Amino acid sequence: MMALGAPLFPNELVEPILWHPVIFAYALVISGADLIILASLAYISRRMTKAIPLLLVLGVSFFSAALLGPLADLRQPSRAPLIFSLAHLVPTETHPGFSFIALYANLWLILIILSVIFLLFYQSYHLHLKSQAGGRLRILYRILSLGVGNEERYKKLKPFLTLLAAITIIPAVLWGIYPSVLVVFQTWLFLWRNWAILPLIFFADTFVASTAAAILVYYIIKLAHLDYDVLSPLLKVHSAGCVSVAGLLGVQLLLWNQWFDGSPLNTAFDVVVPIIYYVIALLLLSFILALASLKVTKLSVFVSIVALLGVILNKWNTLVNGQLISRTGLGVLSLELPPDWLLTTLSPIAAAIFIFIVLSSIFPLEVKEVG
Amino acid sequence: MACVAACAAENNVPIGVFRTWVERHVRADGNIVFVPKQCNHCENPPCVKPCPTGATFKREDGLVLINDEICIGCGACIQACPYGARFVNPVKGVADKCTFCEHRLAKGLLPACVEACPTAARIFGDISDLDSEIKKLVESSNVQILKSWAHTDPEIYYKNLPKEADI
Repeated sequence: MMALGAPLFPNELVEPILWHPVIFAYALVISGADLIILASLAYISRRMTKAIPLLLVLGVSFFSAALLGPLADLRQPSRAPLIFSLAHLVPTETHPGFSFIALYANLWLILIILSVIFLLFYQSYHLHLKSQAGGRLRILYRILSLGVGNEERYKKLKPFLTLLAAITIIPAVLWGIYPSVLVVFQTWLFLWRNWAILPLIFFADTFVASTAAAILVYYIIKLAHLDYDVLSPLLKVHSAGCVSVAGLLGVQLLLWNQWFDGSPLNTAFDVVVPIIYYVIALLLLSFILALASLKVTKLSVFVSIVALLGVILNKWNTLVNGQLISRTGLGVLSLELPPDWLLTTLSPIAAAIFIFIVLSSIFPLEVKEVG
Repeated sequence: MACVAACAAENNVPIGVFRTWVERHVRADGNIVFVPKQCNHCENPPCVKPCPTGATFKREDGLVLINDEICIGCGACIQACPYGARFVNPVKGVADKCTFCEHRLAKGLLPACVEACPTAARIFGDISDLDSEIKKLVESSNVQILKSWAHTDPEIYYKNLPKEADI
C-alpha cells in the first residue's frame, strides 16, 4: 500500500476506496429519477409532451437498476433485504437519528411503484391501439392496456395521471440528490464534509446526465429524422443544467480557496481541484453545442457525448477521488481498485440499458397525442 | 505497542486492521509523544445514525457496539467515523471496531489493552460512578478530547494531548 503524504489513520490504508467505483455508476443510473421528474413535469404542464414516452420509459428503466449499485458494494449482499425489514428510520435511545441509506432504499420502492403505475396508465390507450394492430404480443398489450379501450376512457384518466405525476415528483426529487445527501451529511470524509453545496450540484448534474442520455438515445433511435419539438425542450433543460453545474462548481472552488488558503489542509484538495476545471470546461462546451444544436439538430449527439464525459469525470472525481483524502485532512491515499471493478461498475449501467431495450419493445416511444 | 498486540490477540483482529493503534507525534519542541487511539465510544456517535439496519447501536452503559449478525457491510458507519476507528473485518465481512472488550467487562475484567499497558498509561472505568478513579482524574486534571469541533462528545479523555495528535 502506498500513501502520498501523512499523517493517515492506519485503518484507512487497508481499503482506501471503501465505496468502490460502482458508487459512481449508480450515481449515473440515478439520473432515471430526473427523467421521471421531467416526464411528470411535462405531463402536468402539457409542455414537451412529445418527449414524455421516451423520458418515462428511459427513466423507469434506469431508475429500476439504481439499487444494483449499492447491492454490488455490500460485503454481505445476502443480507440486503434487512434494509427493508430492519430499516433504521425512527430514532430511539439505542439507535439515535435515522439512516439515509434505509430511507432512500424505501423511497426507491415507493418511486418505482408510482412511476410504473404512471407509465402503465399513461401508455394504456396506446397499448390498446398496439393490441388492435395484431402481432404476437397482442395479448400482452391488451393486458397492459388495463382495459382502457377508447379515447373517452383515456381522457377521463387525465386528472388521476396529473395527480400521480405530481406525487411522483416528490420521491424523484429526493432521489435526484442521492448519494450527495449521504456523503455530505452522514460521512466524515474530509472533502465531502467540506462540500455543503454538493446536493445542489448533484441535483443539477443529474438533469445534465438524464437529458444527455435522453438526447443520445433519441439520436440513435431517430438518426436522420430528428424532431425539433422533441429535441428542443431537452436541449434547453440540458443547457440550463450545464450552466448551473459549472457555476456551482466554480462557487465551490472559490469557497475552498477562501476557507483553506494558507492552511496545510489546502494541499489535500490537489487530488480533486484540477479535474473540476476540466469538468467545468466540458460542461460549458456542451452548453455551447446545445445552443448550436437548436439551429443544427444533428449536432445534438456531440452535446450528449461531451456532457456525458463531463458528468462521468465529475462523478468519479467527487465520489472516488473524494475518498482518497484522509479523514485527517492532511494526507492523500493512492488509488487502488479491486480487480473486478470495471465489470462491477458497468453492470448497473448494462442492466439499465437491458431493461430499456425490453421496455421500449413493449411501450411505444412515440405516441399520438390524445385529448 | 503491548496494548495493540493484546487487543489483536484478545479479539482475533486480522493482520493489517486495528481496533487500537499508537501514533507517534513530534511536538514543536522536538519531544516525541505516543498517543494511543481507538473508538471513542462517543456520547453522540456519528456512526450509529447512518447504519441502515441498526446493526450499530449505543448500549445503555454507553458502549457503542456492532451486531455482527445484521451488519450488511455497507461501510456507512466506517465513512461516518471521524477518528478512523472502524474498518471492514476482512475475515467476517462486517464492520468492526473496539468494543472495550465487553466480553471481559461482563466477567469483571479490564479491557485487554488496559491490562497489558506496562506503564498504566491507559485507565479504564465507569465515568458515571462518582467514586471511580477515572471520574476523579477527569475532574481534577486538564483533559482533552479528539476533534472537539466534531461535536461527537468522545468518552476517551487524554492528558497532555499534543495538538499535532488532534487529527
